[in-house]
Amino acid sequence: MVDTIYAEDEIIGTKKAQEIISKFRHAKIISIERFGEVFNPSNQNFRIQKTNPALILARKQKGFVLNAPEGFGIRDQDNYYFSHMYNCLYDCSYCFLQGMYNSANYLVFVNFDDYKHEIEKIIVKDKEKKMTFFTGYDCDSLAMEPITNFISDFIPFFRRYKNALFEIRTKSINNTIFRKHDALTNCIVAYSLMPEILAQKLDKKAPSVSARIKNMKYIVKKGWKVGLRFDPLIYCNNWKAEYAELFASIFKEIKNENIHSISLGPLRFPKDFFNKLLQFYPKTEEFSFLRSNHKGIVSYDQTLESEMNEYCRLELMKYSDERKFFSCG
Amino acid sequence: MINKNFEGMSVRWVIALKAEAEEIIKKYALERVVTKPFSVYKNRDIDIWLVLSGIGQINAVAATTYLYVKSDASYNTIWMNLGIVGSRNFKIGELVQIDKITSNDFRDNHYPSPATFKNNNVERSNLITVNKPEALFANDGVYDMEGYAFFSFAKKIASYELVSVLKIISDIPGTDISKIDKLSVERLVRKKMPLIEKVLENLLSLQEMLLLQQRKPNYFDEICQQKKFSFSQKVTLKKYLTQWQSRFPMRNPLGEIGQRMTASQILKKFSDNLSR
Repeated sequence: MVDTIYAEDEIIGTKKAQEIISKFRHAKIISIERFGEVFNPSNQNFRIQKTNPALILARKQKGFVLNAPEGFGIRDQDNYYFSHMYNCLYDCSYCFLQGMYNSANYLVFVNFDDYKHEIEKIIVKDKEKKMTFFTGYDCDSLAMEPITNFISDFIPFFRRYKNALFEIRTKSINNTIFRKHDALTNCIVAYSLMPEILAQKLDKKAPSVSARIKNMKYIVKKGWKVGLRFDPLIYCNNWKAEYAELFASIFKEIKNENIHSISLGPLRFPKDFFNKLLQFYPKTEEFSFLRSNHKGIVSYDQTLESEMNEYCRLELMKYSDERKFFSCG
Repeated sequence: MINKNFEGMSVRWVIALKAEAEEIIKKYALERVVTKPFSVYKNRDIDIWLVLSGIGQINAVAATTYLYVKSDASYNTIWMNLGIVGSRNFKIGELVQIDKITSNDFRDNHYPSPATFKNNNVERSNLITVNKPEALFANDGVYDMEGYAFFSFAKKIASYELVSVLKIISDIPGTDISKIDKLSVERLVRKKMPLIEKVLENLLSLQEMLLLQQRKPNYFDEICQQKKFSFSQKVTLKKYLTQWQSRFPMRNPLGEIGQRMTASQILKKFSDNLSR
């Protein structure tokens, strides 16, 4: 899978770096000073790199935990996110990472303890306060778990702090971790979902939606809580029927009481990024319905966006209740 | 001669000495078109050029710059540097593709893209570029006198994924350098031609991908010829035509354009149709 590993001199000798390197016996290890030497050069091509991504092991220097963007997250709580990794094993056509980074190489920050230290500082400031820590936005942590052991590492940590909710956003059907560990009551395994017909076209390299639902069912059986993330909502012909069918198939397998939360999010891109996406995927009909607005954002027409959001919300309320909903932007 | 010949295919070789270049010149049927300040060769029919830079980093940059201008190379051009090198940890005759380039004169290192290593089974090595011929080889890797300067410049004028450095080991500790003559160098390169071609083949696939990404949507040029579009209007037109192709593959957008329509009216017409 990975034939080249770049490792910062500063961390190459650490236990975590060595643990990861040992999983790629045939990879060429190249020492670097700072990850930016490989990750940041501006004239790299994301799509070409995606054909043979390398792994970069580095030390995160600052900015371990960040506030979730305004309007994002679970209401009446403090919401944070943190990223131990940039870039993803999957190759979803609408993924914002393609516009965010110059490189498609997998960048893993191996100093997990520094993240824990920062998270701990936030948690202990007010032990009564409820807060959520989101992970899996700049990567799919669960999909990369066999390589990083990130979740295995953070489950015991979050077990100590019940006031802190730990959300793992994923499309992965890797369930080893949920078999190995006792269910963590303050953890949400949040699945990104869309109608199968769209996922087949857009969620390249990711497991099918039916496999994701099957995995959710398994995880729930093991006592873990799951979240449903319909973010982004994507328009297609017959979208109402497609989404209605998706919701029905989920709730056929999973009881509402096992679902921690549900969120809906619109499909939106900054204008420049969208133009780049069109170059990458000129034949993707789903992108042809998006228009620019005066703020430099490309999205569906406001009426359509609201209609989709409202329809899906009402449809989901047939199975669940409004208290479980939160906003994704 | 070259398996892939697609629109936009373009390759540039930067090689220090004639003996190192001889096999490439023969293989790609290159003819000399310039002798000074650098000897430049090109193929008559396809966009493959080669420059003989001479030894050293200054020559390498000067020759690369010269070839860039002379051959009107685009951002999507493949740039390859090939040459013989010394090493303490490889055997004479081995071909290596360079994955890290350092120089004693500069702090920054360069890392050719991993995309260029895909599927070729060529050994990889770091390259240390020095200013005087090396005999001691204090570190593992291969030693040359041009690679760092070549890569530093080439990555600025081309896509990062299309720049590659290939080296063949000609000397190891104890080698009598005076015995490395023109014929032995030619022989070293000749033996490695199949692998060199394999590396080039992969780069050509990457180039093809890059060109596809930059391809203009159908009817873009025709519409731009009919009306005067500003730069930003062209960006919007490109976007609308791409969306049009995926949404209405059977509908010719030229049919939407009335003779008296202005550029903004054309854009509005496309936008209205796409909004439905």
